[in-house]
Amino acid sequence: MTLIELKGVEKIYQQGKIEVPALKGIDLTVETGEFTTIFGPSGSGKTTLLNMIGCLDKPTAGQITFDQRELGGISKKELALIRRYNIGFVFQSYNLIPVLTAFENVEFAVRLVNNRNDKERRQIVLNILAAVGLEGLENRRPNELSGGQKQRVAIARALVKEPKLILADEPTANLDSKTSIEILEIMVKMNQQLKTTFIFSTHDPQVMEYASRLIEIRDGEVSIDQKGEKAGVYS
Amino acid sequence: MIFLWNLAAKNLLRNRLRSIVSIIAIAISVAVIVFTRGLLMGFIDSTFSLYIQYETGHIKIVNQEYRLKQRLLSLNYPVDGFNGEGVAVMTDQLTELEGIELVVPRIKFGAMASTEHEAITMLGWGVDPVLEDRFTKIEEKLVAGRMIQNGEKEIVLGNGLMEKLNKRVGDKVTLLYTDSFNSFKGVTFRIVGVISSNLPLINERIFFLPLDLAQHLLEMPDQVTELLLITPNANQADVFFPAVERLFSAKNALSRYSVLTWQEANEFLAYMDLALKIYDLIYIFLVLLSSIVVINTMVMIVKERTQEIGMMAALGLQGRDILKLIVMEGAVMGIIGSLLGSLFGGMITRFLSVHGIDYSQAMSGMEGFLIDPIIFPSFSVDHMVFAFILGVVVTAIACIFPARRAARLEPSEALRDL
Repeated sequence: MTLIELKGVEKIYQQGKIEVPALKGIDLTVETGEFTTIFGPSGSGKTTLLNMIGCLDKPTAGQITFDQRELGGISKKELALIRRYNIGFVFQSYNLIPVLTAFENVEFAVRLVNNRNDKERRQIVLNILAAVGLEGLENRRPNELSGGQKQRVAIARALVKEPKLILADEPTANLDSKTSIEILEIMVKMNQQLKTTFIFSTHDPQVMEYASRLIEIRDGEVSIDQKGEKAGVYS
Repeated sequence: MIFLWNLAAKNLLRNRLRSIVSIIAIAISVAVIVFTRGLLMGFIDSTFSLYIQYETGHIKIVNQEYRLKQRLLSLNYPVDGFNGEGVAVMTDQLTELEGIELVVPRIKFGAMASTEHEAITMLGWGVDPVLEDRFTKIEEKLVAGRMIQNGEKEIVLGNGLMEKLNKRVGDKVTLLYTDSFNSFKGVTFRIVGVISSNLPLINERIFFLPLDLAQHLLEMPDQVTELLLITPNANQADVFFPAVERLFSAKNALSRYSVLTWQEANEFLAYMDLALKIYDLIYIFLVLLSSIVVINTMVMIVKERTQEIGMMAALGLQGRDILKLIVMEGAVMGIIGSLLGSLFGGMITRFLSVHGIDYSQAMSGMEGFLIDPIIFPSFSVDHMVFAFILGVVVTAIACIFPARRAARLEPSEALRDL
């Protein structure tokens, strides 16, 4: 089943009087449950593409369909609601709220999407933290966690609301290779257990090895789009 | 919502020094408001009370001509009844009106005494000792001797005046004055009592003599220069005023007499009311000034947390949620600062409401005014609540500007701040 469809998506940034094209007519379809990696050199348009898919930005031209809903012309408020209920984000620098504990950082995302009572919400958060290997570290603040542990919290935060899609922008860039593998294993596990669709942008060959699909962006265009075999529920 | 308040409070701990500086700025301005409001109210309450006691009563009746020349203390425009039948009849009829508890008659006139070195100008107040004491509790101010008695040629005066005259209780003093026929006269009185008051006017310029004696000496039979009507409460004078006015109208006496509430009777009191309103604006301005520190803090917070705001937007927080979060953070500072400020201001005001602030030095030379040089700020929880609410509301409103900036950030651009 198609989750995301991009047709002729273009994005042009205006820098003063100069127009800088970031995406030049991208056509792309992502199926539910894919474990996709987008790679390419710096400035190629990877992050811009992720922003378009993640409803964080609107294209200058073209059409994006998310979960059978065309995104053109919808309001910022509706985009925020789509992100809230359907999309999880994992960032290179974790972006955890420093004054909140691991538990509270994850709970923050849960509070946005449901009205469960405190007990149920607590159980959901503890379960997801245990699933990413953070049992016993729930009350630590980000400055008391290692890079890998922080990224696990970020993954838990993205997964806890059971989104249809998780977008990860260079999630292993700040991690050593051993930790990177641990993080990727968690993501693969979640991809297979929950059938959550994952899309990464990365330079990391290790990440690419785990992907069920590799997409290379070069100069704002898709230059390679090939299915891998190692990961993804459809691999 | 509680979670967001909790987060807003925790966010203050990120840069403690900056938060503390902002909170202190708010606390100082709120404390200043509590104290200033208390000081002003204390001053106004005291001044209103003094003017009511010594100048206006709750409702004042004077001859219209006398009112125009009040400063001259003219004896040619007395209150002598509705149609000249005498003030006693008028007093009786006024006393019968509902809400009029007391009718206090006074004759005020100028007098002079001379010592070996100088001539001392004075104010003579002819009063009914019983009525005067019921109204102003003048006997409580006696520090020596006794109060004057009707029919006796005796006076009571302030201890400042006693010093100037170099007299003691029991001594005699000769005073010079002009009667209602403008005849220059002199009479010798026995000093029977000394009063002490914070008021320079009472202490250094006034002597009291029996009303009947004053009427006799000044050739003013059954006449006074003013009648003060006392109601159960000064603030309810307006309620009973129309009946008094109707009585004067029925007697065709309104063309001759001014019937005035205590607020109308003295322009100075009207200015005080205006001052209160002006000060309310100054309070808002004061909190706005301290809010500049908070606004600066919030602008820095938004700048520093652009990436985090982007992350929150990515999580699905809408612009209004982000605005709410930032305003909450400012409001938490406002709440803590205002709470500390109102408590601190309240403590200072409470202390000074007991001990007073002595402005005697600053007020020297202002003997003509009915202003107590020792001001006792009025401590009131209402002032603390007022300043607290003002501090919180103005700070929260001030935070809307930086919060709107945060709310308008595009998520992708905010995240690019990485």
